[in-house]
Amino acid sequence: MILIFGGAYQGKLDWAKKEYHIKEEEIFFCTAEAKEKEALPGIDLDAHVIYSLESFTLDCVRKGIEAKDYMRKNRDRLENKIIICTDISQGVVPRQKEQRDWREMTGRVMNYLAAEADEVIRIFCGLPHKVK
Amino acid sequence: MNIFISGGCKNGKSYYAQKTAVEMAAADAVDKLYYVATMMSHDEEDEARIKRHIEERKGSGFITLEQPFDICACLDQQGIETEGVFLLDSVTALLNNEMFMKGIDNGAAGRVADELLTFAERTGKTLFVSDYIYSDGIIYDKDLTDDYRRGLAFIDRKLAAKCEKVVEIAYGRETVFK
Repeated sequence: MILIFGGAYQGKLDWAKKEYHIKEEEIFFCTAEAKEKEALPGIDLDAHVIYSLESFTLDCVRKGIEAKDYMRKNRDRLENKIIICTDISQGVVPRQKEQRDWREMTGRVMNYLAAEADEVIRIFCGLPHKVK
Repeated sequence: MNIFISGGCKNGKSYYAQKTAVEMAAADAVDKLYYVATMMSHDEEDEARIKRHIEERKGSGFITLEQPFDICACLDQQGIETEGVFLLDSVTALLNNEMFMKGIDNGAAGRVADELLTFAERTGKTLFVSDYIYSDGIIYDKDLTDDYRRGLAFIDRKLAAKCEKVVEIAYGRETVFK
């Protein structure tokens, strides 16, 4: 598993596409839009590339699912995947509760994934830095 | 060599940039050291901040050029030597001025990116200081703040690709990305 993170608009997906020759149809774009009533979170673990993990974690917050537990339960399905997440951990504590929960939910699942990943890469202004 | 410098607020970017600019001028035997100030003063707080920055630069040999808009214009001023070392502080304030100070201009980021790339080409020895404002946990509802963040990130990426060196400063420590 390769985990890629970095701030908003830093070119994470552009870099990954080039580096790993990813085709558009291999990417699953996570979503937190609507589908509030559905039990399953907005993620497809069959996709080779999972993009916008932070949307999945927001969806988890809204559905009362612990993102980390969900990933741990599906650990064997994460092999050989490329997971891309926006780093949302470095600002002021958000005023809205949902956003506070979202930040923490994302932090927990990212800690888990970073520990499990074979490689962890941070993208800064379009450039990679290997963290692990 | 052009250098792109970014990082969080109050992490020592300006200090690092000033120190590096002085070293660069000494190493390349360049006698003109320019500080390109882009920030506009809006109130007493800004005024005090600008004064403090000027005070901090005293004695290090910088010639201050105030250029809040149309960044390349300062290179055409009489007596400016483009072979000098330029410290441009900051990309963030420049985009803010161009995007918001003369009415809202959504085309500002593209234009500023082009102008800064030209600035890098014409001087070859510029240190660009920007701000890393992309990792907070706030959901911006497609508003002006998010347009600004996206615009600044666009410029940062263009500059990072262009510059020979790219560093992030975190509490005085540097991480070299390139």
